[in-house]
Amino acid sequence: MTAYNTIAFDPSRCELCNDCNACMTACSQIKAGTDDLLHSRIKIVAGFNGNPPELALCRQCGDPECTKSCPSTALTKNPETGLIDWDESLCIDCLLCTVGCTYGGITYNAELKHVAKCDHCDGDPACVKACPSGALTYITSASIFNEQHEREDLFVPGLSACQGCNSEMIMRHSLRKVGPDTVLATPPGCIPGMGSVGFNGTTGTKVPVFHPLLTNTASMLAGVKKQYNRMGRNVTAMALAGDGGAGDVGFQSLSGAAERNDQILFICVDNEGYMNTGMQASGSTSYGSWTTTTPVGTEMKGKRTSQKNLAMIMMNHNCEYVATASTAFVEDYYEKLDKALAASERGFAYLHIYSPCPTGWRFPSSQTIEVCRKGVETNFAPLWEYERGGELRFTHSIDNPLPVEAYLNLSGKYRHVSKEQLAHIQEQVNERVKSLKRFAGLN
Amino acid sequence: MATPALKMKHPGCAQSIVCDGNEAAAWAVALARPDLVAVYPITPQSSLVEYVSQFIADGKIQAELMNVEGEHSVLSALHGAALAGGRTYTATCGPGLAFMFEPYWRTPGMRLPIVASLVTRDGITPQCVWGGQQDAMTMKETGWIQIYCETVQEVLDTTIMAYRIAEHHDVMLPVNICHDGNYLSYGVTQVDVPEQSAVDDYLGEKDVNWHVALDPMRPMAVDPLTGGAGGPGPSKFVAYRKGLCEGMQNALGVIEQAHADWADIFGRDYAPLVEEYRLDDADYALVTIGSMTGAAKDAIDSARLRGERVGLIKIKTFRPFPVEAMTRALKKVEAVGVVDRSVHYGWDCGPLYQEVLSCLYRAGKPVASGSFIGGLAGADLTEGHFARAIERTAQLLAGTEFDGPVWLNEND
Repeated sequence: MTAYNTIAFDPSRCELCNDCNACMTACSQIKAGTDDLLHSRIKIVAGFNGNPPELALCRQCGDPECTKSCPSTALTKNPETGLIDWDESLCIDCLLCTVGCTYGGITYNAELKHVAKCDHCDGDPACVKACPSGALTYITSASIFNEQHEREDLFVPGLSACQGCNSEMIMRHSLRKVGPDTVLATPPGCIPGMGSVGFNGTTGTKVPVFHPLLTNTASMLAGVKKQYNRMGRNVTAMALAGDGGAGDVGFQSLSGAAERNDQILFICVDNEGYMNTGMQASGSTSYGSWTTTTPVGTEMKGKRTSQKNLAMIMMNHNCEYVATASTAFVEDYYEKLDKALAASERGFAYLHIYSPCPTGWRFPSSQTIEVCRKGVETNFAPLWEYERGGELRFTHSIDNPLPVEAYLNLSGKYRHVSKEQLAHIQEQVNERVKSLKRFAGLN
Repeated sequence: MATPALKMKHPGCAQSIVCDGNEAAAWAVALARPDLVAVYPITPQSSLVEYVSQFIADGKIQAELMNVEGEHSVLSALHGAALAGGRTYTATCGPGLAFMFEPYWRTPGMRLPIVASLVTRDGITPQCVWGGQQDAMTMKETGWIQIYCETVQEVLDTTIMAYRIAEHHDVMLPVNICHDGNYLSYGVTQVDVPEQSAVDDYLGEKDVNWHVALDPMRPMAVDPLTGGAGGPGPSKFVAYRKGLCEGMQNALGVIEQAHADWADIFGRDYAPLVEEYRLDDADYALVTIGSMTGAAKDAIDSARLRGERVGLIKIKTFRPFPVEAMTRALKKVEAVGVVDRSVHYGWDCGPLYQEVLSCLYRAGKPVASGSFIGGLAGADLTEGHFARAIERTAQLLAGTEFDGPVWLNEND
């Protein structure tokens, strides 16, 4: 079983550039060496009556109509690449395919007197690179499925996480990648709360798993790892900790382990507070957020102080590897997980994953990934990585971010936010990016 | 560390050295061959972890050394190593022990046979950095085995014995070897250092995580939620608690056997639970704990010369409390004065006194009793102080009771 890549289109971003045609020009150039848009295999069709623009492009469908309507087998679905290949030697120019496709993905080129269609430029689409607004993105996350789907999910089915829980997704993705030769620490919080360590003699995890204290995850794991090193056994010491256990009451042990460069893969699942115990605020709770201990009333409008930026603090420990990640960019996460896992053999590796919580943040459970995505696209939760001795590197563009309302508007916890608070949050986001840019050597 | 060898003394003795109690404990650690030692310095324990660190630096102890950022993480690291099968050691006291508390009171519940020296220190506030047993006594309800030493040699010997006790399959509990800050930590004397091979034979193969482990080769969940108010009922929780209590009671016999075997091999015979000194023909007695006992025995000897029929009961094992041995000793006298190096808040007495009262109830005969508190914050308890305690206890015998504790250093 194979999953395939695709080119995604965001009309709201496309509109920003006002018919720039950059994608079409790039396509014409690479396919025909000319700026004549006749040769472009991608077409942006202007929206009528105020509607957004539309994309005419081969979707490389999983169940394509074009191959069915082709009478000469010139169009075939390639099981390896997932692309729909067109074989000129077999084509009889009947154009039935152009009728069958609802996306305008295969069209007649009057100059060539043949149909033409997108072939993803061998995995490096020119149109995506040329798009100035980020409206086109080459989605290769399907490769994760291809690479990972046969790995065992080392958590049992039926963990009792809330519907739409991002943490559960992070746990499952992470542990299946890290594998069975692991000792897993899940300090008190949502992760053991959903049954990963278990209840009354049963467990939800297929690797050795334990409840450290909320305060000592890193130091307990350090002891585990030291003993296995002594015994000459290669065991990964891995933590899946909430932001409170990592950055508040557990921070001392985290900092100590990072300073000692203990060989630990420490993953912080940051849902900005103590969601498991009833949505109380933590040091990671963002400014203005409603929580049960930073409530909204006549005298108080949510959290009055800014969040602690734990990932940056860990970067300043000069760990072997530090990165932020988001489940909306899971391919990016897998790359970072690979690096972090390798780094954890050398020393301390820290991953900070933004993890919006539908229950505690007050958004519909179907919107988790969208909240994750908007967090990144507004620069509220920028994605970056840092390797020991190097510079910070952004792994998702921080240029042209959406205004922060695009993120805040999705969650009920910001519902009360005033104009002044909003301006303050936007300013904080800008400042944080500026600060990160300095670490990245950018101005 | 170059320590001059003096002379061979006993079978199983490699050398005699001159050292203080902190160094003696470090020698014990070396001989017990731990896998992981995690350290954080605190007065008056500091020189102990300095010795251990130097021993590791010199290859005398082939253990992993972790310089950890605080006592909380020190014990946490030992938890991890023990769950992975390692023999572990640390030492702390006073505020360090207080900071360690969260993992500390979890350790017995996980049945981890960790050994930790408590170089006992008085509690703050008032601010002080000196000896006293307030730290250890504060921890007496946590499920750790607590053994109090009287001499530097006993510190060395008992610290090794502690591994035998902790790792015994019928016990599987952490052990605190308590030695008094200042008096034993820095008091220098000659001690015999046992031979490594004899200690190896005495301790046997370590097997510390047969019952609970974090090991991918036998995966298990360590410490899942266990029913109580919620879930299928509290039976499992009760079973764990009950098991811990049984392990604690099993320890009494194991401690006795560990001492008996030690005496056989190394020739030094300590009363494992309760020592009776000149008690058999005594009418009344002092009860003591820890290093104060030496001066107290001198005072007993002096009183005996004056014709006083007074003896002494020293408790070595405080947790588990040796109820039978203590009751047996108490039955021999008509009055006791119990000298504590700490206080028992809310009872207006010392903690050892409070527990002796429970044994007096079991003794089934009236025994007059009084509480003495002395040696706080490193204050010296001299023969003179014990002479006063003896005098007041003699008055108890004569029927003159007193209210509240006698504060032995009140006017010093």
